[in-house]
Amino acid sequence: MSDTTVTHGWEHQDKPRVQQSELLEINMGPQHPATHGVLRLLVKTDGEIVQSVTPYLGYLHRCAEKIAEGCDWRQWMVYTDRFDYLAPMNMNFGYAVAVENMLEVEVPERAQYIRVICAELQRIASHLIAIGTFGLDMGAWTPLLYCFREREEILNIFERLSGGRMLYNYFDIGGVRFDAYDDFAEEVLFMVHVMEQKIVEYNTLLTYNKIFIERTADVGVIDAETCYAYGCTGPVLRGAGVPFDCRRDDPYSIYDRFEFEIPYGQGEQGTVGDCWDRYIVRMREMSESCRIIRQAVDGMPEGDFMSPDLKKLVKVPAGSLYTRTESSKGEIGFHIIADGGSKPFRNKVRSPSYSNLHVIEKVGPGMMISDLVATVGSLDIVLGEIDR
Amino acid sequence: MESITGLLTKIFGDGMSPMALLISGGLTMALIMSLVMAMCAIVFTWMERKVAGFLQSRYGPMRVGGFHGVLQPVADMLKILGKEDIIPDEADKALFMLSPFVIFIGSLMAWAAIPFAPGFIASNLDLGLFYIFAVSSAAPAGILMAGWASNNKWALYGAARGAAQMVSYEIPLALAAIPVVMATGSLNMNAIVDAQGGGVLNWYIVHDPFLFLAFCLYFIASIAEVNRGPFDMPETESELVAGYHTEYTGMRFAFFFLAEYANLFLVSCIATAVFLGGWHPIAGPVFLPGLVFLIKAVILVFLQMLVRWTLPRLRVDQLMHTCWKVMVPLTLLCVLGSGIWMMVSGELL
Amino acid sequence: MEPNAIHDLLCAKLGEAALEYVDSYEKGTVIAAAKIAEAATLLRDEPELHFEQLMCLSGVDWDGHDAEGKGKSVAILGYTEEGKPELSDRVGDGDLGVFYACYSHRHGHKYSLFVRVPRDAAEVPTVSHLWPTAAWHEREAYDLVGITFTGHPDLRRILLEDGWEGHPLRKDYQMPAQWQGVPLEGRSYAANPFNEADVVLPTKPEGGQG
Repeated sequence: MSDTTVTHGWEHQDKPRVQQSELLEINMGPQHPATHGVLRLLVKTDGEIVQSVTPYLGYLHRCAEKIAEGCDWRQWMVYTDRFDYLAPMNMNFGYAVAVENMLEVEVPERAQYIRVICAELQRIASHLIAIGTFGLDMGAWTPLLYCFREREEILNIFERLSGGRMLYNYFDIGGVRFDAYDDFAEEVLFMVHVMEQKIVEYNTLLTYNKIFIERTADVGVIDAETCYAYGCTGPVLRGAGVPFDCRRDDPYSIYDRFEFEIPYGQGEQGTVGDCWDRYIVRMREMSESCRIIRQAVDGMPEGDFMSPDLKKLVKVPAGSLYTRTESSKGEIGFHIIADGGSKPFRNKVRSPSYSNLHVIEKVGPGMMISDLVATVGSLDIVLGEIDR
Repeated sequence: MESITGLLTKIFGDGMSPMALLISGGLTMALIMSLVMAMCAIVFTWMERKVAGFLQSRYGPMRVGGFHGVLQPVADMLKILGKEDIIPDEADKALFMLSPFVIFIGSLMAWAAIPFAPGFIASNLDLGLFYIFAVSSAAPAGILMAGWASNNKWALYGAARGAAQMVSYEIPLALAAIPVVMATGSLNMNAIVDAQGGGVLNWYIVHDPFLFLAFCLYFIASIAEVNRGPFDMPETESELVAGYHTEYTGMRFAFFFLAEYANLFLVSCIATAVFLGGWHPIAGPVFLPGLVFLIKAVILVFLQMLVRWTLPRLRVDQLMHTCWKVMVPLTLLCVLGSGIWMMVSGELL
Repeated sequence: MEPNAIHDLLCAKLGEAALEYVDSYEKGTVIAAAKIAEAATLLRDEPELHFEQLMCLSGVDWDGHDAEGKGKSVAILGYTEEGKPELSDRVGDGDLGVFYACYSHRHGHKYSLFVRVPRDAAEVPTVSHLWPTAAWHEREAYDLVGITFTGHPDLRRILLEDGWEGHPLRKDYQMPAQWQGVPLEGRSYAANPFNEADVVLPTKPEGGQG
């Protein structure tokens, strides 16, 4: 229990009858079902009302940035997998693009298309987890299992592609590690076909459920200004009504060749920037990812999957560059400083969840415990990426 | 209890004193009821997992016992018996140990007035329905005790939420049954069931529109009363870890578990007896009354499971809002409406 | 706005504090450490700049980022078979630095700021009052690189345990021998994995299930 006291505003009465209650300090985590990993939120509550939220991080800190100093440029790709373990392809993509920008190497067309297909499939897989666990935070068990069912199909494709089901280490500097297998395109198109139908099913089951809307609309409102100030990106920023997406507004790889919409929150069920808006942005992004995948599969050429003019041991010229790409959680940035050697001098990872979680300190106070759980769920944090 | 005492008289002859007959009859009945409760937990945990599996496009338990994991609950029960019984150091030990039994006994006592079949009722009380609602109020006390004694903040939250919820939802629950009492003119459970004999059209659920509404309200309130989704506030596993029983392990946890499923079945049994004609079949003469009663009750349990695995959970203030601002006025409307209906149709004299 | 135009604007407003224009991969300005908050305010509030988002803030130990330090910038070269650190004879004496990457949603342009501070007086004014997101990034830079941000409301370690000794991303960092009674031992690893002699491939366990 803390010493902090709360007054209830009865002080103006003739006989001062100041009711004081102690704040209850309660640790949400590191072992707690609603924190999506080993996150500890120190919550001070007055009854059901949250007075302050302080996140404590670092339970999953693996010194990836220090390890980078001892790896060579290619080897560190493995560690990027482990940042956002729900979207390793997107993490791989970010790091590969970052190093390639500094090397100024030409990535073969076929590799570019495979990368985009993988990244978008991974975005769907990650969003499936996001909406599934978000539903679970609301007490809806069943959508989670449905989401996992479709995610399995995506993982099957990845398994055939890379050999891994969770951590792929598939992208490499200058291309991808293995060529796509023979019926890759058919499998992906079938998956997209299935996915587009399942999205309708999720909408019936969860999106427009009355209780779900009651629980998420007008809850945890994060407006655009707060997003800018706290560096929130991805679905959190788009949920706040800002149609910003690195894929379109700061294009990397070959995203400028595809046609797709940027869904953003419009306050259909409540205020712009509430939990429901963030949720629906993810839902619609999955459809858009399906669109991109269809176009990418159509345009995929034959050819090299790995840049032929790149040596095994990469040496990046000295310099510093911050490169950002759009992962499923938001803007994943790699700030890379090279000294011209075969090892990174400093790799700083600017992870989207790190900034997205920070905003909970701002929006948390004043909401109910249940809403805090809903809001943390709607931010879709992954602790591997926050703690690195 | 008459059938039991009759049976005992047949076995032991007339030599038993009335007092001995009463005591032995009562004990036998209590034993049967405890077994029914234990069976509830065993059957319904399996059923719950299969229903959940069915809804979630998976199988549920498939290994233990050969056919569709029918022995899974038995294995679970054995496992839970072997678990270490942990009492936290800082806990209020007496209350901590007592509370599972308070909840369990509250549930067990209510079974005394449930008419499973003609003559098969532990205690044919004149105030049967009233008695059931009265004794089932012990559960909030047990939940509060458990939450407080655990000396765990999550448990305390769960207990506070649970007690508030159960105390609130008892009101629409009881109010929804009042039109039936008005129609029957009695609180005796046997009398209520007897009044619904002679086919589906005599069941109280189709007696008048207000009674149908009352049944729906009763069904919703009963889900809340037994703390199941979408009203599982005292547990809210994604918010409060496990709510009031966060600190419980082993057999003590099993008693909460037992009470939960027993209560689930209890409210379904009450609904069956009060609204769905008890042991009376849809048409024709009374045939295998116990089985008919059980089938109806299990269908209601199944419906509750469907609801639980489909809907998200309400927030605690929305839950209270639903109770006090929606359900209580609607149940009062039912009481008023069916009263007028009966007056107009000449049933009330 | 074009990066060099932004630099000119900064020079005009800040004068001496805008030290030099960086024109490599990253376009930016090196700012005198004491004036970083003013520069950041300028970037954020000047209408034609309007950098409302701080994308990234990273702390850097620049020690060894030069021709002679190349290849041995990490103080611990590796670990011996016994798990003891194998140290280089190099003493860390380079500057520490902070890097700010800003983005303007209104104008769609990016710009970076660089700050360098001497190792023994690593103090940089905070920008967390301008961009709240910097609060956590600065805590991280403090935690891992050991740069003190003056005026920061809550400068604590964020990723490591409170009370951890040293700042791991400094090039001369040495892992403590133990932490709260738990011995910390490194694993020996190949210094250069592309030298085949150093690569230890996993072998099948003999006589086991293989």
